[in-house]
Amino acid sequence: MASALRGAILGHVRVPIRTLDRSRSLSCLQTSIRSMSSHGDDHLTREEVVDRVLDVVKSFPKVDPAKVTPDVHFQADLGLDSLDNVEIVMALEEEFKLEIPDKEADQIISCPLAIEYIAAHPMAS
Amino acid sequence: MAMATAPSRAEVLSLLRSFLQAARKFSDYNIREYAARRAIDGFRGNKALSDPSAIAAAFADGMSQLEVAKRQAAVYSSYAPKTKSVMEVKMSPPERYD
Repeated sequence: MASALRGAILGHVRVPIRTLDRSRSLSCLQTSIRSMSSHGDDHLTREEVVDRVLDVVKSFPKVDPAKVTPDVHFQADLGLDSLDNVEIVMALEEEFKLEIPDKEADQIISCPLAIEYIAAHPMAS
Repeated sequence: MAMATAPSRAEVLSLLRSFLQAARKFSDYNIREYAARRAIDGFRGNKALSDPSAIAAAFADGMSQLEVAKRQAAVYSSYAPKTKSVMEVKMSPPERYD
């Protein structure tokens, strides 16, 4: 949580570089302003999201790990029911430290949907 | 006595989610695991119910149990022991001596 805040603040800080030559100072300022953020570090890469989502699904006791790919549908391909779906979404919430509202949680019914949701979520870590 | 209307599928799933979220709030490892396990087993056991009044009764029972869980989580956290259960200790794999 704190690291997401830090990243958001750093993304807005600018450090203008002053030059001694006043005649060209305006153009120098414009080309010399650098953002201080190391943004990209705080956000998860898509590959990491995919790997971790697959790990969570594979470690679910009722799932056969051999069948898990990034495009499986929980109920259609893995033979789970809606109660298992609720459990899996809760496990994903814990893995990525998210709070997913009910309406959106009901729609996460396959690996691709889970990956899309988490990759797009700003607070996922 | 009026016939209670059966809850919709979405309401039942929402109740299970509420149980699992309430279970997370317990500070004690054992109670936390038990609450989640018992909620899932309870819902799964009633999965085959088809009579609307039986479903409504089970749902009402679930709602009151949810209240119990929430209250107990608050009470337990007031008296949480300082040491965590051994199951919560993150162990790194033991070093090899070869």
